[in-house]
Amino acid sequence: MKPRASGWMFAAPYLTLFTAFVIGPLIFGFALSLFRWELLSNVKPTFVGFENYVEAYRDPYVHQALGATLRFVWMAVPATILLALVIATGLNAVAGKRQGFWRACIYVPHLLTVSVASILWRWFYNKEFGILNALLRPIGIEIPWLSDPAWAMPAIVLMTLWWTLGGPSVILLSGLQNIPVSYLEAASLDGATPVQRYFRIILPLMRPVLLFVTVMHVIGGFQVFGQVYMITRGGPELSTRSLVQYIYETAFNNYRMGYAAALSWILFAVIALFTLVQFRLMREDRS
Amino acid sequence: MNKKSLRLFSAEVAMGVGSLFFVIPCLLLVLAAFKPDSEIVKFQGFLPKQWTLANFQEVLGNPEEIPLLRWLFNSITISVSTATLVLTVSSLAAWSMARLRLPGKPIVYGIVLATLMVPGQILLVPIYLLLNTLGWLDTPLALIVPAAGGAFGVFMLHQFFIGIPKDLEEAAALDGCSRISTFMNVIVPLSRAPMATLFIFTFVGSWNDFLGPLVFLDSLERYTLPVGIALFQTSYFTEYGLTLAASLLCTLPTFIAFMIFQRQLISGMAASGLKE
Repeated sequence: MKPRASGWMFAAPYLTLFTAFVIGPLIFGFALSLFRWELLSNVKPTFVGFENYVEAYRDPYVHQALGATLRFVWMAVPATILLALVIATGLNAVAGKRQGFWRACIYVPHLLTVSVASILWRWFYNKEFGILNALLRPIGIEIPWLSDPAWAMPAIVLMTLWWTLGGPSVILLSGLQNIPVSYLEAASLDGATPVQRYFRIILPLMRPVLLFVTVMHVIGGFQVFGQVYMITRGGPELSTRSLVQYIYETAFNNYRMGYAAALSWILFAVIALFTLVQFRLMREDRS
Repeated sequence: MNKKSLRLFSAEVAMGVGSLFFVIPCLLLVLAAFKPDSEIVKFQGFLPKQWTLANFQEVLGNPEEIPLLRWLFNSITISVSTATLVLTVSSLAAWSMARLRLPGKPIVYGIVLATLMVPGQILLVPIYLLLNTLGWLDTPLALIVPAAGGAFGVFMLHQFFIGIPKDLEEAAALDGCSRISTFMNVIVPLSRAPMATLFIFTFVGSWNDFLGPLVFLDSLERYTLPVGIALFQTSYFTEYGLTLAASLLCTLPTFIAFMIFQRQLISGMAASGLKE
């Protein structure tokens, strides 16, 4: 086929939408972050340079939200990767038809949409009549799951693990299944024990998949919103309010659009930084 | 029992015990929906002592205040439209960039790929203001149209299209097929699997989207299921029976769809991790 500009015709619908709803908002959003732009107030948008970023740097609520978000990522991501690897290994050991059944069991929680999953766990976590405390009470334990700042974030992480582990388990399982059987047989012939095979052959071969899953979960973890908003509304004492929730409240409860836009760019910068560090670590590891 | 079947057996037992953690909460949701409130707010065992349909009757019998079926309809319409639009525009764009020799293509495709790294939240505020200007807030368009600008579909299909042998298209061209009919008659039939995966992914993403409808929609009868159900927490806070029955009802369609499309969904997801 001849090189012709008219071929762009097929890409035009997408590129129009891409420009209007991705590139445009990206540029507009950055410009917005340089303005004091308050919806519903009579003050006209005024250019303030990087003042919003300076404000964010000093804002104790930003520090709190960033801290809560980091705590969520730190608690949820390593646990997710580790448990997903364990589940995938278990699934891989089960043969044939039964594997599909167990896989479906583990995936089922993810069929609940975030509000349903959250409502369910709020009920489990209820201090007075929640099932968790009902089961713990006979052994003399009662946990203030959602009313104590020390317990609220772990409670959200536990719910998140239940809700999301199916996805990474399935991905890691397919990674395990892609390892050529001949490698494992060769290792067995050379006298490798199952433990040696797991750590010397299987895990190193799984590294690209593990990196992919880890990066995806770190990125997703920094964007946590739905379950926090539904289960604790960021409480108690704002101990679980994530960055995204703070952005949401700044923009749509307080209508401070310029400041919210600046906060979004800060979130982006944090995510980009962590992603970059992870890739760098993996690469150094390899060489 | 030999060593191999012992290992198989212990793996099965471990999976069985482990999967209880995932399955029991779901069963509790199902069972609780059939319990009267008095049993829900005081734990009296897993099974209902007195089975009742009252929760369902109340949830479905009050469409003015709880338009559950309306939300279901909205969710289906929005998710199907979003997935259809994304599939259409992304596949045409991906194919033209993978195959046709276009001036300036590497730069354009590079920019599209770069936006894969941009988290959606960063676009929330500017898109809100844009939709406000367009007058699309509180309409389904606010959720459908912006989603079609996403780069994931283009990236995914582009990767697939460059793997299709060129001969087929050249043969079609020699036979006098126009570009668009080559696309429809040669490429689309070959790409059913990745296209179905993209459709399912987009559908599921749109179905579960929470932040978007929360921000862009305003009126009760326009809500999708996730935000509609979320409303229960504030409005029917104390009525757990109602809330759980509504939650169960709104999960049923997803569950049925999962039973039908399980293989496709899971193999698509599994493949997403092996691209690297």
